Amino acid sequence: MHIPDAFIPLGQALIYWIIALVFIALALRWARRSMGEEKIPLVAVLAAGIFAIQALNIPIPWGTSGHMVGAALAAIVLGSPYAGVFVLTLVLLVQGIIFGDGGITVMGANIVNMGVVGGFVGYYGYTGVKGLIGNSYAAAFIAGWASLFVSAILCAVELAIAGTFPLGLGLTMMGTYHAVIGLIEGGITAVALYLIASARPDILERPAGVSA
Amino acid sequence: MIDDLYFIEKYAYGESIVHRLDARIKLLIALAAIVAIVALPYSTKVYELGAVLFALFALLWAASRLPPTVYLRRLALILPFGIFLVGFQAFVKNPYYDVFHTIATLPFGIEVYAESVEFASILLVKFVVSISFIILLSSTTKMQDMIEAAGRLGLPREFTLTLGMMVRYIFVFAEMFGRIRTAMETRCFDPLDRTLPYRYRLHQVGYTVGTIFIRSYEQGERTYTSMLCRGHGANAGLYIRRKPLRHGEIAFFAATIGFIVLSTIVVYLQP
Repeated sequence: MHIPDAFIPLGQALIYWIIALVFIALALRWARRSMGEEKIPLVAVLAAGIFAIQALNIPIPWGTSGHMVGAALAAIVLGSPYAGVFVLTLVLLVQGIIFGDGGITVMGANIVNMGVVGGFVGYYGYTGVKGLIGNSYAAAFIAGWASLFVSAILCAVELAIAGTFPLGLGLTMMGTYHAVIGLIEGGITAVALYLIASARPDILERPAGVSA
Repeated sequence: MIDDLYFIEKYAYGESIVHRLDARIKLLIALAAIVAIVALPYSTKVYELGAVLFALFALLWAASRLPPTVYLRRLALILPFGIFLVGFQAFVKNPYYDVFHTIATLPFGIEVYAESVEFASILLVKFVVSISFIILLSSTTKMQDMIEAAGRLGLPREFTLTLGMMVRYIFVFAEMFGRIRTAMETRCFDPLDRTLPYRYRLHQVGYTVGTIFIRSYEQGERTYTSMLCRGHGANAGLYIRRKPLRHGEIAFFAATIGFIVLSTIVVYLQP
């Protein structure tokens, strides 16, 4: 889902950069206020961990492999959508500049798609569904799925606005593909959350569990 | 991707005139080249600017004395998603042309348009030039140098500190990731093994993800505590010493940026 350079014209890419910068500034403010300014290094080290998580081969039902994004997981565990924005911004910066995965001019769009959407849909999807059904793991599953699906839809819309990929085709192809991949992102988010809640419940901002 | 970390950084430790060049200059030249090729509107003029910028890239790559195979291997790693988007163009219409001429009709009523093929090739040129400069940048510049350069160029200390920490720990986690994978292999577990029940595989991968998360969080806690012991506080930042540019570097920078800007304007303005 990392859009490469040249697939979004410069003017539009600039607009996504501005949106991304606003959220990056808000994420920095979140890190200073609720984590305590000096705790920022902790989030930076965690970002390196998310980078490793993204390297893991994830089985996809029809036999190929995919990769996790992990924004929803970071947002759920740290208890803020901005955690997803912060972590994914760092990951995407390193991926774009060192590895060439995802462009430089379009990095703003990639941060919006994966970090902002992943973090916000992941976090509010989780708290919303958890409030409704009271099951943290089902909520994490749905939030993980939705974060990836909405990201993919937004990516398809951006490419359609740029005129580099037709909307209908983009929505059906990217949408269907990520609707399936999202099930796995959701499943792994739920299982990982279960492990974290069992092994280190203290690092969760809000206790996870299944209410009776 | 994480396996290529050492591959990339190994070549960044090479010795050549390009490796020795100040990281600020390399960062800005790569950025200028990418912005130039992206800024040029989608038209056949992209071929000309693409050829000029690619020649500049090839010259710098030759001066870096890195083997061409390094470039090709890195290119092969990045291409897939871009190639998918480019390859698709041939079969669809896009808003940048008014008339479309069918040059081939495939089964299921899929048509290939001449204009769409042209558009695909324009995208491919832009894409390849952009990533070539990124490959040049990261193959000749150490990550830590790049962060210091960004700091000298005015990136706020919140970013230089966090990026510095992240880059340092990526290597730690790459090692950890390798050990986890070895542990899986010694137990004959392969997440992609289709003879195992899907549910079981998903659970194991989920636990691995959770474990990596906890281990990186705990590493963060340890690092943070040891930083506090060494006097880390709210106003701490990455120490970046001043590094004046040499006259030769300034001249090279001015000439290259001038060349990129001028060739872009010349290509853009010609009829």
